[in-house]
Amino acid sequence: MSAEENPAAAPASVVDVQGDGRWMSQHNRFVQECKDAEPDVLLVGDSMVQLMQQNEVWRELFSPLHALNFGIGGDTTCNVLWRLQNGELENIRPRVVVLWVGTNNHEHTADQVAGGILAIAQLLLSRLPKSKIIVLGLLPRGEFPNPLREKNAAVNNLLRASLPRLGPVQFIDVGGSFVHSDGTISSRDMFDFLHLTAGAYRTISTALHELLLQLLEEMPQERRASLV
Amino acid sequence: MSEDSNTAASPTPCQDIQGDGRWMSLHNRFVSDSKGKEPDVLFVGDSLVQLLHEFEVWRKLFSPLHALNFGVGGDATQHVLWRLINGELDYINPKVVMLWVGTNNHGHTPEQICGGIMAIINVIHQKLPHAHTLVLGLLPRGKSPNPLRERNASVNALVQAEVASLSHVSFLDVDPGFIHSDGSIAHQDMYDYLHLTPQAYQRVCQPLHERIKSLLDKHAP
Repeated sequence: MSAEENPAAAPASVVDVQGDGRWMSQHNRFVQECKDAEPDVLLVGDSMVQLMQQNEVWRELFSPLHALNFGIGGDTTCNVLWRLQNGELENIRPRVVVLWVGTNNHEHTADQVAGGILAIAQLLLSRLPKSKIIVLGLLPRGEFPNPLREKNAAVNNLLRASLPRLGPVQFIDVGGSFVHSDGTISSRDMFDFLHLTAGAYRTISTALHELLLQLLEEMPQERRASLV
Repeated sequence: MSEDSNTAASPTPCQDIQGDGRWMSLHNRFVSDSKGKEPDVLFVGDSLVQLLHEFEVWRKLFSPLHALNFGVGGDATQHVLWRLINGELDYINPKVVMLWVGTNNHGHTPEQICGGIMAIINVIHQKLPHAHTLVLGLLPRGKSPNPLRERNASVNALVQAEVASLSHVSFLDVDPGFIHSDGSIAHQDMYDYLHLTPQAYQRVCQPLHERIKSLLDKHAP
């Protein structure tokens, strides 16, 4: 599905309807961080990524890996695509990029959302040919079974099948433990049935961290001279 | 201003446009939570209240005060009003209600937002005639000066004036000085120029905790 056919793969900045320009401020800050930092790991996506940095788990597991966090709450695949095309990949050579986005794509079908995520993965691979990509599956959401859970699961199935064909891209689904046998999600894991509690972040971060260590170990670190 | 013409003061549930019913789930959980508990303090409002519960500062400062948190991200005054009218105050008898809402009232004037906050204060007083309501001032937002900062400051001035004559309500400005001399707000305090980092919550919660404790002490028999 080309970008012309798939609205979820069309880059789009967020229009400032509220009046305080916060989305653009965050994007500009990330572009500036690219000028100053030399991250080994880049995490990019929506609030699931953003809030990770406000939890203790970031300081413990991800800061030591020289990770940068380019998450913005509310972002869709279109917004992340726009940000990556407009400065957030300039001057940096992260060895691994973690992508977690798609749950906010309310206007799009599961096929379109998967296509949008694929488009981002393709962009990352073309801009960072020596990097590896980890795509996190969309988590289930809502207290009870609902259409968004089915949609997110459908997106994950499509990604599972199509991502590996792109190249050094891995898909991991960290949402397996959240839905209980009665179909409910607990507020102890998702305080608003969407966003993760500190405990749940700890659970998913362990798996992600292990995979990151594995990938970083597999990749010989480039000497800085070779990046010039 | 009549409440009919002010949508910020008309109780309105949040429509489930996304499709997973999360707002109603949260409301129902708050109502059922309140049936089993006897909080001395109730925190109610938007995401600035809700997220407070997720950081260490809650466990350290507010759990020991027997506090319940009924914050919902995205809520404007009309949503909080609906929730409080529809069950969230029916089974509890807190001594202090902390109210922090208004920054999400997009499209409303400062007067309308103040009207919404006063409507909430009135409902709390009707349902809990012995409780003291502590209204928090809206924080500045956005990286640089912008109309929403002015709007929030106007709301604060209006609310502070309205509650001055009410003995069961007090106003607290918890902004420790987030705006720097160049007019900017740092992302170390508000990671998205709206929501507070754990370190910013620490700064906000110091005076808040002190005030709540003193209100509880006054309330004690």
